[in-house]
Amino acid sequence: MNVWLWGATALLAGMLPCGWLAVRASRVDALVGLQVAGTLSTLALVLLAEGFHRSSYMGVAVASVFASFVGILLIARFMGRHV
Amino acid sequence: MSAHDLAIDVLIGAAVAGELLCCVGLVVMRDVYDRLHYAMAATAVPPFLIAAAVVVEEDWTQPGINAFLIAVALFVVGPVIAHATARVVRTRRA
Repeated sequence: MNVWLWGATALLAGMLPCGWLAVRASRVDALVGLQVAGTLSTLALVLLAEGFHRSSYMGVAVASVFASFVGILLIARFMGRHV
Repeated sequence: MSAHDLAIDVLIGAAVAGELLCCVGLVVMRDVYDRLHYAMAATAVPPFLIAAAVVVEEDWTQPGINAFLIAVALFVVGPVIAHATARVVRTRRA
């Protein structure tokens, strides 16, 4: 284990409060939790790519930013109209 | 431990601490707007600290540029997501 992998582990542990929010709070609060979880997972992917010395894995993190962005916008639009 | 390693440790430690602080803020705050504030803080400073750590480690090579691109992308799309979410809240409360 190096500092990059420790950092990634800590970031992944930070998803627990987001999950708690998704389970216990309202739907809009869950959407906010999803946003933070998306940010945490993206940054954890960056740290994992660096920790494993696989620079090509960084592309997954780049894709994750935009996938998370589009997904959250779609959910927000859906919630605004239907839920 | 060299200054190079120390700089990386400090940058990653600060970034992770900032992100975890935002996670705590999500749970502690009671209003969705307050929670949104913490969610957007998570996309502002910590990604740049992680990008700086990667640049210190790798210099301006492909991983460093990608990490910086990710930090900029998070910084730019964060307010758009916050606006969309706040709009949903306003619609539901109206």
